[in-house]
Amino acid sequence: MEEFSSEIRFVSLLDASDADLMRVSDESGLALDIAEMKRVQEYYRREGRDPTDVELQSIGQAWSEHCCYKSSKVFLKEYLTSIDTPSVILRGDAGVVDFDEDHAYALRIESHNHPSAVEPYGGAATGIGGIIRDVLCMGAQPVALIDPLHFGPLDFPHDKLPKGVRHPRYLFEGVVAGIRDYGNRIGIPTVSGSVYFHEGYLGNCIINVGCVGIAKKKNILKNAVKTDSDVFILVGGRTGRDGIHGVTYASVELTEDMEEEWMGGAVQLGDPITKEPLIHTCLEAAERGFLSGMKDLGGGGLSCVVGEMALAGSFGAEVNLEKVPLKEEGLHPWEVWISESQERMMLAVPPEKVDEVLHLFKLYDVLATPIGHVIRDKIVRVLYEGKKILELDLDFYTAGPEYCREYLYDAQSLGKPEAIPEEPEDYNQTILKLISSPNIASKAWVIHQYDHEVRGATVVKPLQGKMGYACHGDAAVIKPLEHTFRGLAIATATNPTFSEIDPFRGGMSAVDEACRNIVAVGGFPDSLTNCLNFGNPEKPDRLGLFRETVRGIGHVAAHLGLPLPSGNVSFYNETEHSHVPPTPVVLGVGKVPDVRRCVTSDLKEQDNPIFLIGETKNEMGGSEYLRVFGGHSGTVPNVNVGTLEKSLHAVFRAVNEGTVASCHDISHGGIAIAISEMALGGNVGAFVDLSKTGAIPTSVKMFSESNTRWLVEVWRGKEDRFLDIVLDVPVRKLGMVKGSSVIIADSNVKAGVFLEDLSEAWKRTIYDFMGGTP
Amino acid sequence: MKVEDVKVCILIIEGTNCEEETSQAFRRSGACPEIVHLKQLLGQDTSPEETRKLGDYEILVIPGGFSSGDYVRAGAILAARVKSRMEDELVQFIEEGKPVLGICNGFQILVELGVLPGIESPMSRYPTASLGWNDSGRFECRPTLLENWSKGKCIFTSKLERSQIIQAPTAHAEGKFMLPKHREKELLDTLKDNDQIVFRYVDTEGQIAGYPWNPNGSLFGIAGICNSEGNVFGMMPHPERTYLGIQQADWTRNVPDNGDGKAVFESVLDYVTKKF
Repeated sequence: MEEFSSEIRFVSLLDASDADLMRVSDESGLALDIAEMKRVQEYYRREGRDPTDVELQSIGQAWSEHCCYKSSKVFLKEYLTSIDTPSVILRGDAGVVDFDEDHAYALRIESHNHPSAVEPYGGAATGIGGIIRDVLCMGAQPVALIDPLHFGPLDFPHDKLPKGVRHPRYLFEGVVAGIRDYGNRIGIPTVSGSVYFHEGYLGNCIINVGCVGIAKKKNILKNAVKTDSDVFILVGGRTGRDGIHGVTYASVELTEDMEEEWMGGAVQLGDPITKEPLIHTCLEAAERGFLSGMKDLGGGGLSCVVGEMALAGSFGAEVNLEKVPLKEEGLHPWEVWISESQERMMLAVPPEKVDEVLHLFKLYDVLATPIGHVIRDKIVRVLYEGKKILELDLDFYTAGPEYCREYLYDAQSLGKPEAIPEEPEDYNQTILKLISSPNIASKAWVIHQYDHEVRGATVVKPLQGKMGYACHGDAAVIKPLEHTFRGLAIATATNPTFSEIDPFRGGMSAVDEACRNIVAVGGFPDSLTNCLNFGNPEKPDRLGLFRETVRGIGHVAAHLGLPLPSGNVSFYNETEHSHVPPTPVVLGVGKVPDVRRCVTSDLKEQDNPIFLIGETKNEMGGSEYLRVFGGHSGTVPNVNVGTLEKSLHAVFRAVNEGTVASCHDISHGGIAIAISEMALGGNVGAFVDLSKTGAIPTSVKMFSESNTRWLVEVWRGKEDRFLDIVLDVPVRKLGMVKGSSVIIADSNVKAGVFLEDLSEAWKRTIYDFMGGTP
Repeated sequence: MKVEDVKVCILIIEGTNCEEETSQAFRRSGACPEIVHLKQLLGQDTSPEETRKLGDYEILVIPGGFSSGDYVRAGAILAARVKSRMEDELVQFIEEGKPVLGICNGFQILVELGVLPGIESPMSRYPTASLGWNDSGRFECRPTLLENWSKGKCIFTSKLERSQIIQAPTAHAEGKFMLPKHREKELLDTLKDNDQIVFRYVDTEGQIAGYPWNPNGSLFGIAGICNSEGNVFGMMPHPERTYLGIQQADWTRNVPDNGDGKAVFESVLDYVTKKF
């Protein structure tokens, strides 16, 4: 047995008082609480020695909220991860789901909120880097990126900005540039996403990044070692001081001082031109059968990846830390061990394949270094120049705490008195104002900066319609394989204003919206992943919101039989000034039987009839209409899971049987906005009559955001077939494609807006804030 | 020669990222593409089985991407590496009349190398044109329409009618075709006289138009040019992204049997199979 290095620092813990323990946690930046520190103390009392500084840092990483989901796991297990279907092949850093006989797709979404709030360009870029690695390490080729972004209002007055908070425009510009420069350079298309503005994101922007990949089933890898002789080969970037304490940083609230203090270290630096060949080379190594397993170095760096891979294979590991290639001299061993420097992957390679792996990486100019090997004992041991600096029992080390923290949810506490504004005097102006609201207006400023077509597989694109007039679509469709017309439909959904009033319905609505987006283009929902962005879980009311949200997502997903084989939780999105509204972001993936049958949201032909599927209800809570014009309702759109399921099947069939010319889901801004967007994309007008859509006020008919609804343009001559297919769901003919303005009529009301005016109102808003010409 | 015997060298280094779809385009047209790392042509860190010679291929393609990150200037690093290590081989390849295609970053590299515009010699010592920052100052990914302006010299557009308009998306930050200001008129006239201007950006009416139809502010709306012999060709938009009908931006409105970009690949293969 090796001796501990004489140069290593031991930390006195055995006789430490509670106050001493907390001082150690604070001074070393561990972010562990007293109960956790006591558990560490007990372990070392049993071992009969003090911990080394490297060991303490390792435990701090492994037991962080970010790495071990200690506050959320109990709820995730109850409502989400328990949904299982035979289509799920593997749950690892990304979920892997059946695609066809020989292929599977991988999916994951996660947050990069804290780094992006401090350094938006680098934070967002490395977010992309990280999510790509999560998909890559399953042996899958990334094929699509998805970026739901949330910021404070773009017009927020500078002089009212809390100290230390960056302006939403600065953050928006930086985040989009970071995604653009990283995503475009590595050659993975950014095909879907959303941008949402809300006062609650002023102190904490919410930056989520998702990725979908495709793999041959024979190349799918576990994030684990396979044999007791596997060699650990570290590949990709060098290790430096960037990204020290990223995960512990993400596991506390952001404060003004902290930002200054940690800014130098906690945000990693991205290098897409190291990543780009790293992707190819890792995939080629997998294809040639060189690998036992692969895992990305993300939160916690080496300290997490080595232990987790070893334990997942029921073994242990020994690492020679001095072999790790460094960016700079003079790093402490503990810094090397926990650094989150980007662009690194860990390969587990059988000894007889090591030379071939090293040759392959050398050819592509990607650094590859054997740094350790598997051992039979379930311990992780780290040596530095032959001397031991860490030895930890893996079961203790990786078994992070799990809490059932106190949670509190009182539905009444969120209910303010209903305050519904008077019916508008001028519906035309109301529609124009709504369509120019930043949450609805054109996101072309963002979309054109992302390469959404690289790889040549983006069949249905984020902007859809006539050349020069394209408008927002519902979902993007990727044709991932050459030999088949099967596709993947990809859509995201979130509605924080629903969730802040009624988190259960907000969670349900997110699943409903993701699913209806997918069927709108002709796919059928197949799996979901989610990123749950919340405040401090140690505060019972925040955790109450979290639990309600998860329950809502789980309720709909379970009914539809949609698995969530991966997911991510981001807590502590709050500052002393504010906390974010509950922000459950759902990413849905659907299978498209034949991409040639996909439809888009733009109206196609004069005189085609337009139908409404679904029922409009007086559910104005959280609507964009009330946000823009003032007022409050506690009634957030509900989901009837039975109707949803039937409707998804009906719309899917109607599209795939060729009866549908265009289809758009109804969400922000209601029917009025949905029909306007369809008209803009096709550069053709429409007439719809809402008088028979219920005994509700005109403003509700036009602007309600009730779930499970679509507007469908049906080909003339195929109406009968269409109606046969949608027989058992609520359906009503509203009007037809017609003229060059959008006309919406109710019993005593007729709104009519010219396409040019709609277009002007819709496309300018974001450009006016951010610069450039639409 | 038969199309299935046409070997296409798809040249990559770190940061190249359109090699798969470009390769796929040639494969769909029946040729035999191979993705080749620059180090395989230079014999660096390669086993004998991995080493390749440029002369063994009939077509050289430099696909899109961000070679070496485009950190100095788009295409500059790869161009410098090629020029310093294999200038003679490349010049010989061009002089033999073998086709060279540069798409997007590949076009930038061909200009940096001095093989485009290639007015007087296969490779000029210094670049005589450049692809500068887009007028918008931003990366622009959007569908664009291109008018075939070639009168017949360019071997990459022989399957297109004169003035035919095709769809191919752009995705670049540095794509504004520029000539030295003090020789701009003279050089532009030469390019016109030599039939070297191949594609120009147009709007849906087929008219030369400003932003966003011309996404970068290119001189004379230039989207692609060939050398004076017509066998070296570069374009900023991506024809491999409209090889199939279902890749086109508005295919759900009007689905074509084939994508417009297919003609570029079919044209060059037609030339090679007839010539060699």
